[in-house]
Amino acid sequence: MSAISLSSTEISPTSMVQAAGVSKWFGDLVAVSDVSFGIGAGVTALLGPNGAGKSTLLRIICGLARPSKGTLTILGKDPRRDVAVLGRIGMAPQQETLWDQLSGLEFVQLAAQLHGLSHPVEAARGAIAMVELDADDERSLSTYSKGMRQRIKLAQAIVHDPLVVVLDEPLTGLDPRQRRAMIALFHRLSDAGKCVIVSSHVLDEVERFGSRVLVIAQGRLVAEGDFHKIRDLMDDRPLRISIRSNQPRTLAIALLECGVISGCELQDPDALVVSTSDVMFFRRAVALAARDHQVSLLEIRPLDDDLESVFRYLVGQ
Amino acid sequence: MNFHIYKVLLRRQMSPARLLGMAALSGVAILLGVLARTADNTVEFATQSTGIFGINVLVPFMALSLGSAALGDLVEDRTLVYVWLRPVPRYTIATAAVAAVISVVGSFAIAIMTAAAAITEVHDLILATVIATALAVVAYSGLFVALGLRFERSLLIGLGYIAIWELLLSRLGDWFARLSVRSYPMSVLADATGVEMRLADRAVVASYVVPVVIGLVAVVYTSWHLTRTEID
Repeated sequence: MSAISLSSTEISPTSMVQAAGVSKWFGDLVAVSDVSFGIGAGVTALLGPNGAGKSTLLRIICGLARPSKGTLTILGKDPRRDVAVLGRIGMAPQQETLWDQLSGLEFVQLAAQLHGLSHPVEAARGAIAMVELDADDERSLSTYSKGMRQRIKLAQAIVHDPLVVVLDEPLTGLDPRQRRAMIALFHRLSDAGKCVIVSSHVLDEVERFGSRVLVIAQGRLVAEGDFHKIRDLMDDRPLRISIRSNQPRTLAIALLECGVISGCELQDPDALVVSTSDVMFFRRAVALAARDHQVSLLEIRPLDDDLESVFRYLVGQ
Repeated sequence: MNFHIYKVLLRRQMSPARLLGMAALSGVAILLGVLARTADNTVEFATQSTGIFGINVLVPFMALSLGSAALGDLVEDRTLVYVWLRPVPRYTIATAAVAAVISVVGSFAIAIMTAAAAITEVHDLILATVIATALAVVAYSGLFVALGLRFERSLLIGLGYIAIWELLLSRLGDWFARLSVRSYPMSVLADATGVEMRLADRAVVASYVVPVVIGLVAVVYTSWHLTRTEID
């Protein structure tokens, strides 16, 4: 199955990250399945539910894991084989654990030193300032809050001014103000010509990252392209709604007759599950049908409001 | 070796629990030195206690405790990524880890065992203790750093190795003894004092060369494993 394509999906010659038929399995578990894409400068969101394979894919991008099949290159190099290309990558992994015996400045400075920067202290201070932390804070990282940990991880990822910045769920644990500041930072990096890849399982969060999205579900790339078009596609999908009433059969016939539902299924004696692609029209129609047929509505509950159902729908396309 | 990684790994070695354990071991070493001085055959007692306690117990257990944690803890708490993602040759990470362990275990074990040997006033034993302890530290540190990177339950596996291989199987015959790390530094001690010790019958050159080779091979293996392993 190929991914839904909403813009040009050809791998651009200017792509900084290129994946061709990348799969990754652990024994019988397929974490990533035959994924191909090209990512250039700008912010690209990797969207998918928990367990979809986002972190595995990001690990492969950074060379932390090797694909079981297929190839992945960063700036034309294999990050597993070419240690030098790691100097062009900055990554903030998902896990919270840090080198807790170090201070924030020491932690970021170590990254700068290992990247061979000539002025590591100044670079570390600059990166820490960019994530709005205090470089003079001498406390060890073990005392840092979740939000501070996220930001110091980001600082160590950007301290060496990498071309490719890979951030795994970087907004987790941040308050709304910090989220805004971090998203603004992603855009600044993007404007500076960096390739910023940000993973998230929160749809509304991704909306603010930028326009390009890769949607991954069950290890497969199920959609890629402009966020707004993917959002529209998600909004256009048929929704399933559970209705409890005293006369479910009567209500089902009435709704079918007015053409507002595309399918229905009687479940319990008083429960009906219907499918509709026009929620606004459905809301009006169900109220009118109930009034006209003297049906008492007990409960109306959408079944597909969660993000998982959105991904299930995309997988099925 | 990467000096920055070395420094930060060195800091990680110094936990209060480890320092306490090392202090306890040093107390035993000093006590044995005092007992040797008052023994009927001071040379025999001093050499045997240096070999049995210093080479068989103190060095391997300290090297296991620190060595298995040097990279193993980074794998366990998933912070190895912050070293692995940097554009540094993998052998510099391996050598930094082994060097950090050697620095702590070596400086401590050599100081304590040499002090214990000095207390005995067996002059032939002092230099031999320095050399034998250093050789044992190099070999065991390399081995246990590699073990810590390779296996999840490295501390348990290391304890099993020391107890079963080094302390039991090595007694089964000359072939087994040759594959026992401790037989080489023990031979240095026996050669210096003339005291006959179990397993300590390796050739002089082998006594000096084999532990260093073990340490180097372990560094090579650790470097190779770092290039092959997948980082979580």
